[in-house]
Amino acid sequence: MQSEESKGNNTLGSNSSTASMASNSNPLTSHVLDTAVGLTNADGRVGNLISSEEFTPSRFKLTFDTLAYYESRGERTFYPYIDVVFEIERPEEHYHVPILLSAFGYSTYRGS
Amino acid sequence: MASNPLTSHVLDTATGKPAVGIPVTLSKFENDVWRQISRKWAFQDTANRLRWTGWKSDIIEEFTPSKYKLTFETLAYYEGRGEKTFYPYIDVIFEIERSEEHYHVPILLSAYGYSTYRGS
Repeated sequence: MQSEESKGNNTLGSNSSTASMASNSNPLTSHVLDTAVGLTNADGRVGNLISSEEFTPSRFKLTFDTLAYYESRGERTFYPYIDVVFEIERPEEHYHVPILLSAFGYSTYRGS
Repeated sequence: MASNPLTSHVLDTATGKPAVGIPVTLSKFENDVWRQISRKWAFQDTANRLRWTGWKSDIIEEFTPSKYKLTFETLAYYEGRGEKTFYPYIDVIFEIERSEEHYHVPILLSAYGYSTYRGS
């Protein structure tokens, strides 16, 4: 999770759970663009966004820094950034919050 | 400036019908903060496009090139239908560069997913 202001290379949730912790050690993943929290891998995915201890029933927000992505490609976009605000009721489940992105449109869904 | 510079529409893709009654707030990003310009409720016209009476006059002076945000209060819509949703509200943040153009910022909505695009 991050706020819009946070920049830099700190990776929230890099203190990933060990096997002895709650069984849901990687409860939240996403397809995400280049962000301050994590970087996508070759698959376009990022995990380890949050530890299971922090992942309690609550409202969360993922912010995707889409402007930097398009600027680095020399392209314009309608969306300087994308916020997805969602409610977690069952933190024992896995949540996948991807973005299907284009410069003038996007979609998101709750995956698992 | 376009005479009706900004419109929106919320389509509930689970029912195939427009989502009536969702409050929508328009905010403008100025001096590093979001300032609310207008808050309206969708009412149903023949296409259930979001018509906000007086919205044109609310925003027409304000609609200069800037960063804007539309906030759709979807939770109450689903609660009113006795349904759960993943999204307590939806923010769409967009950049206006040409205030003489018309911008259509719709939401295709379901309880566990949504999409948006820049229309005209």
